Amino acid sequence: MVAPPDNDVLWARGLHYSYSGSPALTGVSIGVREGEILAVTGPRGSGKTTLLKCLSGQLLADPGEVWFNSAPVHTLSRGARERLRRERFGWIDSRPHLVPELTGWENAALPLLVRGTIHREAKRTATEWLERLDVGDCARKRPGALTQAQRQRVAIARALAADPTVVFADEPTAPLHQADRAQVLRTLTTAARSHQITVVLATLDEESTALADRTVTLVDGRRGGAIPAPDASEGEGRAACSVSA
Amino acid sequence: MLSLRLARGAHPLVLLRRLLVALAAAGVGFLLLCSLGYAVAHPKATQESLVRLLWCAAPLAAVVQFALAVARNDPATRPRDGLDAIGLGPVRLSVLAATSTAIACTLGSAAALLVYLELRGNLGLTPLSGAASGLLDGRAALPWGAALTLLGLLPALSAGACAIALRPRKERAGGAPEATADGEAAPTTARAPRPSYAGLPWGVAIIACGLALEAYVGHGPAPAPNSLLALPGQEGGASPGLLGGWLLASLGLVLAGPGLTHWCGVLLSSGRPGATRLLAGRMLQDAATRIGRPLGVLCAVASGALAAVELYGAAWERSGPRPFGPLTGLGAAVVMACVTATAITAALDARQLRSDTASALHRLGVPASLLRGAAAVRSLVLLAVLAPLTWVIAELTALPLMR
Repeated sequence: MVAPPDNDVLWARGLHYSYSGSPALTGVSIGVREGEILAVTGPRGSGKTTLLKCLSGQLLADPGEVWFNSAPVHTLSRGARERLRRERFGWIDSRPHLVPELTGWENAALPLLVRGTIHREAKRTATEWLERLDVGDCARKRPGALTQAQRQRVAIARALAADPTVVFADEPTAPLHQADRAQVLRTLTTAARSHQITVVLATLDEESTALADRTVTLVDGRRGGAIPAPDASEGEGRAACSVSA
Repeated sequence: MLSLRLARGAHPLVLLRRLLVALAAAGVGFLLLCSLGYAVAHPKATQESLVRLLWCAAPLAAVVQFALAVARNDPATRPRDGLDAIGLGPVRLSVLAATSTAIACTLGSAAALLVYLELRGNLGLTPLSGAASGLLDGRAALPWGAALTLLGLLPALSAGACAIALRPRKERAGGAPEATADGEAAPTTARAPRPSYAGLPWGVAIIACGLALEAYVGHGPAPAPNSLLALPGQEGGASPGLLGGWLLASLGLVLAGPGLTHWCGVLLSSGRPGATRLLAGRMLQDAATRIGRPLGVLCAVASGALAAVELYGAAWERSGPRPFGPLTGLGAAVVMACVTATAITAALDARQLRSDTASALHRLGVPASLLRGAAAVRSLVLLAVLAPLTWVIAELTALPLMR
């Protein structure tokens, strides 16, 4: 095992993963710097979700190494990885996946409550985040009474309210219309930048890559194109967005 | 054919549930045949035969409820995207569920017929043949038309109940997809769905009516002896008023079940709850209808059983005439097993519907132990509320009958 470079908050090397025989990742290496927004693009089935799941410790790469803050994730037990996800990571799915029984603020406050934060504090934080994301009026409504865009914002508030170090967003705008899409993405990136939160954003559309600092392309489970050196990758992302514009 | 193919690849637990339905159907079919045999052998005792037939209604209803719960929980009959796309939508799948239920019940009934004939000594296939010809009135010939009609009753009733209960609700234009995802049981047609606790006042009122009726009849003058209904194990029989009161109290418990469950949930998540209490309470509120109704039935049957123990408990210890015949025991066993299995099935159903939420929570890093803790808290609260209530109602219903 080689210790990762110090400036990367999250670092992975040689990730392989296959779902009962069908390979999803074949040797992906990636480094995520602190506070940056990294877009992972690629067509459907290129392994974006699997990469995010491996990085966040939901799946265990075999073989492959994942390091978070210079500590190995791939050697941790299942319980320790759950605690890591609970306390340091946030996860935004392509569907909101809110708990239907809970109201908006309770959903957003759930990670805090699970951590054992006192009730009043959790409620205050969750309500603040909901207001920051323009869904303050949804705090007392159940997910069933909200529109899809509102639900997705509540899901983003849930991920951000727990004050994570890294947020993984797996196609967070997939179920939304164009107008909602841009707005949701902008709120997510703005909030992340203002709070120094690292974001790993898996996305299909070109527009979202414009908001990212850097873009990594996956094709059939491996890094697409020439594997860039960490310094050169900035240019790649910018180039991709200028083509799209 | 499709239902058979689906059954062949099904999970063993699903097959076990179907087998239990068939077994329960066999029990009910056996009871029905016994009452028919009694009626044929004693053509004079019309009223007694009728009462025996009427007592079969309780196990029959329990089995229909159980079959319905199993059909609702059956993964083969849930709408699936792929099948819907090729035209096997919810409408067709509800027909499929009804067919599977009818098949299971018919198999059970056929088994009951075989066992009945064998025990009467009509077939003579095994050494057991004719072992119970005295109890089952083996001397009189069985009218085949009547026997088949009675046996066809259960498959027809349960298939009809499945077809009606599982038929797709009216589609709403632009309905919320998240809301429809929580299953067929949710009332999706109503613009403002009736809250699950709406039945609670009715339930309480009906329980009170039943208890009052019993107390009134118990205190009043003894009714004419020919209006008495035979109660198993009591020579004199009981007046219809007492039995009616008992039935009303049971009905009230069934109606009050969802409301009680809902308020348990409210109580649990009141104050400033932590994550465990919050999840437990809110899930209980949400699943109040789905879990509460079978729980209400379970409580009603449990209170009936407790009252019966109160009434006949002393008789068990004596070596004198036993109050319960084997047939009463079979009926009681079928009812209790069906009602318990229905409650368990409903709980499993609720858990399955929550599996999406559970996996989403797992992605957030919520440990499985927290969800298990929430489930434990839920069941403890339900037990703490419903067990004393059941006991109190059993005591109150048994009180006038003891005199």
